Amino acid sequence: MTIGLNEFLIVSGLLFTIGFAGMLVRRNTLILFMCLEIMLNGVNLALISFSRFNGTMDGNLLVFFIITVAAAEVAVGLAIIVALFRKRQTVYVQELNALKN
Amino acid sequence: MDAALLYQLLFLLPLGTAGIIACFLRKKHNLAARLSVISGAVFSVIGLYLIYARPEGEWSVSWLSLADTEGPSFDLTFGILFNDLSALMLLVLIIVGFLVQVFSLGYMKNDPGKARFFAGLSIFMFSMLGIVLADNLVMMFIFWELVGFSSYVLINHYFEKPSAVAASKKAFIVNRVGDFGFLLGIVFVYWQFGTFNLEELANRAGEHKELLSTSMGLLLFCGVLGKSAQMPLHVWLADAMEGPTPISALIHAATMVAAGIYFTARVYFLMTPEALTVVMWVGTITAAFAAIVAFGQNDIKKVLAFSTLSQLGYMVAALGLGGSTKLTGHGSEAVMATGAAIAMFHLTTHAFFKALLFLDSGSIINACHHEQDIYKMGGLSKKMPITFVTFGTGVLAIGGFPIFAGFFSKDTILYLAHESDYKSVYFILLGTAALTGLYMGRLFVVVFFGNPRSDNVSNVKESGPAIVIPLVVLAVLSVIGGYDWFFGHTFEGVSGAIPHAGGSFKTLMIITGLLFSVGGIFVAWLIWKPSNHADALEVAAPGVFNALAARLYIDAAYDWYVEKIQDRVAMILGFMDQLFISGLMVRGAAGIVGLFGIMSRSLHVGSLGSYVYWFAVGVLVLGAIAFGVL
Repeated sequence: MTIGLNEFLIVSGLLFTIGFAGMLVRRNTLILFMCLEIMLNGVNLALISFSRFNGTMDGNLLVFFIITVAAAEVAVGLAIIVALFRKRQTVYVQELNALKN
Repeated sequence: MDAALLYQLLFLLPLGTAGIIACFLRKKHNLAARLSVISGAVFSVIGLYLIYARPEGEWSVSWLSLADTEGPSFDLTFGILFNDLSALMLLVLIIVGFLVQVFSLGYMKNDPGKARFFAGLSIFMFSMLGIVLADNLVMMFIFWELVGFSSYVLINHYFEKPSAVAASKKAFIVNRVGDFGFLLGIVFVYWQFGTFNLEELANRAGEHKELLSTSMGLLLFCGVLGKSAQMPLHVWLADAMEGPTPISALIHAATMVAAGIYFTARVYFLMTPEALTVVMWVGTITAAFAAIVAFGQNDIKKVLAFSTLSQLGYMVAALGLGGSTKLTGHGSEAVMATGAAIAMFHLTTHAFFKALLFLDSGSIINACHHEQDIYKMGGLSKKMPITFVTFGTGVLAIGGFPIFAGFFSKDTILYLAHESDYKSVYFILLGTAALTGLYMGRLFVVVFFGNPRSDNVSNVKESGPAIVIPLVVLAVLSVIGGYDWFFGHTFEGVSGAIPHAGGSFKTLMIITGLLFSVGGIFVAWLIWKPSNHADALEVAAPGVFNALAARLYIDAAYDWYVEKIQDRVAMILGFMDQLFISGLMVRGAAGIVGLFGIMSRSLHVGSLGSYVYWFAVGVLVLGAIAFGVL
């Protein structure tokens, strides 16, 4: 069998769904962060597939941007989680509800 | 010197004084009083220069201008109309106003609200000046309301007294009734003539007689009913005596209440003969009614208040009588109608002698430790000689003793009535003149003769110079204020229009004048004996006296109307308001918004997980809309 665009897109969709489902069900902020990264990479995979399929470099270009921004985001996000843990001694979202009440 | 600058100064001085006192000198009582009197003196000098020198120049500011490309434009100006009539009124305002300010220095010496009082006086001078000089009806109306406001503030000077608060409200509300008609009249005038300017109105009314109507004149006269306290809107004036006595002298005797007379004289060309007949009867009835009611009053200021009402009635009657008279004045430069000129003449002399009487009563009240009941006074003639002599001058002047000011003006009004078609008016006014002599005689005898009737009065002393000097000046004016030479040629436009009685009528007037003034005091001496401790009428006919003391129950009728009819309508309207406006519309709208608030607030749960679900739902809904499913 040949691996075509559809298979890549299916994998991409699976990655995104797994990430999103993780966002919904998990409570640990670190895991949520990883789920976010999985979703981003699912999107990246779809973009590269389309780029390859269409024979243009537009998708690749976009992916580079996403990877760059995601790296920056990880740096900031992890720093926030560390600061949060120092302050509240927890990383579980159900305990981080200071905005309510 | 340019007149425009002087006009501006004239307006700015009292207004600025009031503003400075209100902003910076509320606690510095003596400084405020001095500032007010000094500014009053400068005001008087400028005013007298304007009256006697009549410098050239006009002053007019465009105040509100609504241009219309198709129709005529609508312009409201703030301008000055200075002629002999306004000069005469300005003279009265300056003389009485300045003397009252000096008097107040003595009278309000230890008053805790002295600064407030002088600020009120200044704002009154400003407002009254506006009425005197206004060149159009709208400006007149604005200042008309401003004197109402000043009057309200000054009646309310002793605001810790509930009666003073009630009196000030009564004065304001009763005036509001009259002013509603006045405003309608002004609108009516504009609708017919298309201008507010008095000079243009005079021209157009002269050219187009058919545009005049009786109802227009009567609507304008409604304002006079309120401000000059004519029947049936006379009820506020006696209550207004709750204010400090200098205020009663200046506002409620000499100037503000006379503003109605002045206004009618100013717009005399708008009055039809039919309207003037109504005016005449209103004045005549007021004059007689107030003179009768004065017999039932034991408060020295209330007697004077009803005497003011009665004299205002004379002036209004003179205005009305002018509508049907064939009399003309002696002067060649006469520009005014005879009736209006005679009313203005009486206004002037009345301002002198009534301000004198009120200031005298102020001197007495001050000396008697704020005792106002005449049956608690007595025997003041020896203790307060200057007050006694000046008060006596005032009594003779108002009674119409020949050679005194009141004789000339009242005699002219009676002459006018005698020569008119209304003989009944003549006899009513003549009878009122007799009553005037009698009730003033009663006041004079009870207050000044006999023995002191209470402890407060037994050790009084004559008042100080600030009080006595204005009394003497006004007493002199009450004597000389009626002669032609006193007015000279400065007010020729007014004084030239006054006819002089001659021959047998003059003799008759001299006899009746003597009879009513001196005879009035003499008869009063016999009826209300100085030794009496209670009113002779009260002893002889308590029912009659009580009816008079209750002012013939007219105030009670108003009270009944307000309480039983107006309050009930107001209650129904209030209920409707609570139910529909407040309940349904205001609270209903607020309730719906609140409901949304409660709903959206319940979505705020504080858990990150559930927000992700909301997010997912949001994406699904938006996606569904984007794909056209929803």
